[in-house]
Amino acid sequence: MSGPPAPGRRETHAEWLALLRLGGIRLAGGAFVLWAVATLTFIAMRQMPGDPALAILGGISPTPQAIAEVTREYGLDQPLFVQYGRYLSDLLQGHLGISYAQRLPVSQIIAEQSGATLQLVAASLFTTWVLVLLWTLTTTGRGRWIAGIGATVETIAAAVPPFWLAIVLLATFAFGLRLFPAAGSDGVRTLVLPALALGLPLAGFVGQVTREALVVTLEQPFILSARMRGASDWSVRWRHALRHSLLPGVSLSGWAIGALIGGTVVIEVIFSRKGLGRQLYQAVQSQDAPLVIGITLVIATSYVIANILVDLLYHIIDPRLRKDDQ
Amino acid sequence: MTRRSGPAAGALAATSLLLALSGCGAGSDSASGGRTAASGTPVSGGTLVYATDREPTCLDPHSQGDMPQVYIAQQFLDSLVSMDEKGNIGPWLAQRWEVSRDGLTYTFHLRRDVRFTDGVRFDAAAVKANLDHMVDPKTQSSTAGSYLAQYLRTDVIDSHTAKVHLATPYAAFLEVLAQGFLGMESPRALARSRDENCQSPVGSGPFRVVRWDRQSQVVLERNPDYAWAPPTARHTGPAYLDRVVWKFIPDPSVRFASLQAGDVDVIDALPPESHGPARQNPDITLLMKDRPGNPTKGDFNVTRAPFDDVRVREAFVRAANVAGALKSVLFGEYTRAGGPLSHVTPFYNAQFEHAQDYDPQRAARLLDEAGWTGRDSEGYRTRNARRLTVKVPMSDQLSNAERTLWEQVQASEKKVGIAVDLDPMGASGILECCSTAWDYDIRIGYWNTNTPDVLRFVFGSEFIDRPGTSYHTNGTGFRDARFDRVIHQALETQDPEARRALYLDAQRIVSQEYLQLTTIPQSTRLAIYKTTHGVRIEPSLSITYLYDAWVRK
Amino acid sequence: MTAIAPTLDARHAARRTGAPWGAVLAGGFLAALLLASLFPWIFAPTDPLSILPEDAFQAPGLTHWFGTDQSGRDIFARVVHGSRQSLSIGLLAVGLAVAVAAPLGVVSGLAGGWVDRGIGWVIEILLAFPGIILALLFVAIFGGGIGPLIVATGLGVAPGYARMIRGQVLAVRNSGYIEAARALGHRPWRIVRRQLLPNAARPLVVVITLGVGQAIVWASALSFLGLGAKPPAPEWGTMMAAGRDFIANAWWLTFFPGLFILLTTLSTTVLGRYLQQRLEGHR
Repeated sequence: MSGPPAPGRRETHAEWLALLRLGGIRLAGGAFVLWAVATLTFIAMRQMPGDPALAILGGISPTPQAIAEVTREYGLDQPLFVQYGRYLSDLLQGHLGISYAQRLPVSQIIAEQSGATLQLVAASLFTTWVLVLLWTLTTTGRGRWIAGIGATVETIAAAVPPFWLAIVLLATFAFGLRLFPAAGSDGVRTLVLPALALGLPLAGFVGQVTREALVVTLEQPFILSARMRGASDWSVRWRHALRHSLLPGVSLSGWAIGALIGGTVVIEVIFSRKGLGRQLYQAVQSQDAPLVIGITLVIATSYVIANILVDLLYHIIDPRLRKDDQ
Repeated sequence: MTRRSGPAAGALAATSLLLALSGCGAGSDSASGGRTAASGTPVSGGTLVYATDREPTCLDPHSQGDMPQVYIAQQFLDSLVSMDEKGNIGPWLAQRWEVSRDGLTYTFHLRRDVRFTDGVRFDAAAVKANLDHMVDPKTQSSTAGSYLAQYLRTDVIDSHTAKVHLATPYAAFLEVLAQGFLGMESPRALARSRDENCQSPVGSGPFRVVRWDRQSQVVLERNPDYAWAPPTARHTGPAYLDRVVWKFIPDPSVRFASLQAGDVDVIDALPPESHGPARQNPDITLLMKDRPGNPTKGDFNVTRAPFDDVRVREAFVRAANVAGALKSVLFGEYTRAGGPLSHVTPFYNAQFEHAQDYDPQRAARLLDEAGWTGRDSEGYRTRNARRLTVKVPMSDQLSNAERTLWEQVQASEKKVGIAVDLDPMGASGILECCSTAWDYDIRIGYWNTNTPDVLRFVFGSEFIDRPGTSYHTNGTGFRDARFDRVIHQALETQDPEARRALYLDAQRIVSQEYLQLTTIPQSTRLAIYKTTHGVRIEPSLSITYLYDAWVRK
Repeated sequence: MTAIAPTLDARHAARRTGAPWGAVLAGGFLAALLLASLFPWIFAPTDPLSILPEDAFQAPGLTHWFGTDQSGRDIFARVVHGSRQSLSIGLLAVGLAVAVAAPLGVVSGLAGGWVDRGIGWVIEILLAFPGIILALLFVAIFGGGIGPLIVATGLGVAPGYARMIRGQVLAVRNSGYIEAARALGHRPWRIVRRQLLPNAARPLVVVITLGVGQAIVWASALSFLGLGAKPPAPEWGTMMAAGRDFIANAWWLTFFPGLFILLTTLSTTVLGRYLQQRLEGHR
């Protein structure tokens, strides 16, 4: 087989070391970013409206003694940097505070809610790639008309606001045809519509990038030679061209995960799903500072980690980059 | 919790809540009894999936006391006394009771066979623990606690006799005791921390709380030992259902679609726009009942201009075209509430229903008389070069229907020259303007309770500035010695006719003072899938009651 | 939902979808929208706030092209008048983003060294929040409403812009251009002004065009959640939120505002790519 060397075969010890070193650098950078993020959220928390002592007490207007007690207990009378230190050490131990509205540890709420969001993000990413592979691989390089329609559909898909799509899907497939449940967060059937609402616009973006790469790849000599050896069109596309066309799409995945996490907020609200997104929305509405901060922090953390992983994955898939790097 | 999401009490909570701003000639669709009878013999077993709009922040209804709490608590708590459809008080966990001549002591003789679902025996000490818990400031009770303001203490006379002492006569005492908000909980469970008790309260009711999966559902299981159903129930012994899944689906259209698809068996807070489709659907029956208390309303702040003048208050009421909203966004499914009491409240009198009828000419005349004769460039009335503006803070939690209603009122007020400033704000904004402060001209809310004593909470001067509370339940600032006297006299007598006369007086004073714009009664609106039978709306607060319900799937 | 993504690949996509009729249609739609936002009464003489309960929930027809809402307000009029809110939110948000991002990007790209690294970290940190999360955090602190909405949206996209502008500046700086200018003896400031900025700014035009569409989607998503424009303002996201309860009865309350969001984004994308293609051609 001609063309670029196939990945995953000829790694040398040195190459793995380089990768490890890169991973270390990225992780250190990530840790620094996370520290800054935590600091930012600490500042944000201090800026949230409302007196923290009153918020912690909740309910009936408390006596001055009660306020004083809470202020002391939570260290609200300490100098700011002491509170900041306390906040950081709590974070390192996994304490994110107590939700004002639910009176539960924020970490517990997040643990309970993140599974559903993770499922949704994974299902959406899966939907995205299925759509991209089916649509883009079929329509690219098939003559002006088909390719034109293929590209146009991708452009439109990328422009669709996910929340509008969600409502249209809900009205059509849940309210009208009743093919899928309108609400809920248990079972695969409840995932279909939300994942489609998030995945379709994303597939528009990823499809455009993949199409471009595919067009270039299909013009490569090694494709031509495969064809000449009598490989079928499908085999050429799936076995030879595809792998070389995935990189740009994969490189978008880090960004895509961020877009998906952001998108879950609206989608979980529309489909009445449980999850971090809807919880964050409710926390913002009820001005539940610890919960807002906790969820923001967790989302930022997972986003940073996801980006590091995608970055490393990218280097693993494409050995050329590994050589160039550093 | 949630001091932020609305100072709980059935009141301001008002703002947030109940999407289904509801109303309507209750029960118009089906008499609960008849429907049950028609659907065959009950079968035991199975799971009922119930979907409601709002998730409570605490399952113990003593704490705070917002409507979603009592909805679910009614399924797992029993009350000391019961209330029937006519408003009569009957036995439940208390078999009988005596009231002292001066109305200051109530002696309850309790059933001896009752156990809470944690195995603790129900006895006089449990009654004492419960009443003490409700008035304990640590419980942060806005509803139960405020209904027990007269409570002094409970004496345990013997294991099953409890003597409750009150500071002043309180004729509404038994009525409020019948509400789910004052349900009896296991003293052992109450002894835990408030947060723990919020998470998994323990009662003696037909179901018990198994699990609360936040943002999703609460799972309830049958109490197999249940043998103390209230006399108002349709059967005795354990409930028919094995299990109730109490789901939270905030979006009304999604909730209704889930019902149509049969994914859930019962939904509440059926939104106005779904009534028509529900009626046309042969798989769905409706069960609706208005709630007693002070209807959905806007309180006029009489402590400042312009509503310090009764003529301006009446003018506002007369210029408000509520009928337009009833026809449009409420789809003709609701009736107007014109008086201070909802028509299902004991001692309600119908003669005030038309005191708030639309009459823009009269409104214009009243405004002229009050001196608001100038007009500015936008056509609003002025006096001494000041525009006639009314500030209405609107919680962003308000239901679509209610917000639309106020937008339509805004449009009709403009026609007589009153500028209505609808000011949308979040929970903390509402807390700042309207909970203890008076920075509003109209405060939107409601108050559900099964006694006309609600008038005291909403208009009595003692509730303008009550120490230790986060919310003045009197949102009007109305301070009237004659009203206070009448409303307190009504608490001092147990004689129904005397109470009726006094409450008539109280309703008249309030109505003539034009202290509120009342819109529609609060109501419970259930839509029920064909698999489910025997669902009832209990009489004390018009709350869903699943004890008699059964499913055939 | 980030303005960066489309730009990454736009260059190439434009090559194929560059049929001018697409750009003409898109440009025409945006021009009409701009006109509508300046002089809405040309298209819709009806008052978008005028309430007529008797006319509630009229289906789309000859009198009300897009039907009426729950208070009998004309939806076509509201969509047309709403273009002002939505468009200005989009433009202001992107303007703010550019105003924040351009100095950062330019300084970072030009100065190099520790300044560049420092700014790079700041951008990296801001990028750690998915945009809409950053916006939600902002709303939680400063409350909802149009003003915070614009700032939240602008700040949400700014870090991405800054990174892109920095890249452009670096590319221009490292190209032969500047060397040549310096060899000719031009003063540094003159080089920056005459060579660097125009060259770096060209892609910015594209980013702005693409960004406005994305900012409108974002802002309307926040409004849809009830955190942005307040009812009864005819903002598209707010209108969708208000109509959501009625999808089963009256789909037009939600459909048309959503359609206009879609058309606007689509138009800005298509036009942005066309511009990109043209500007690339100049290079």
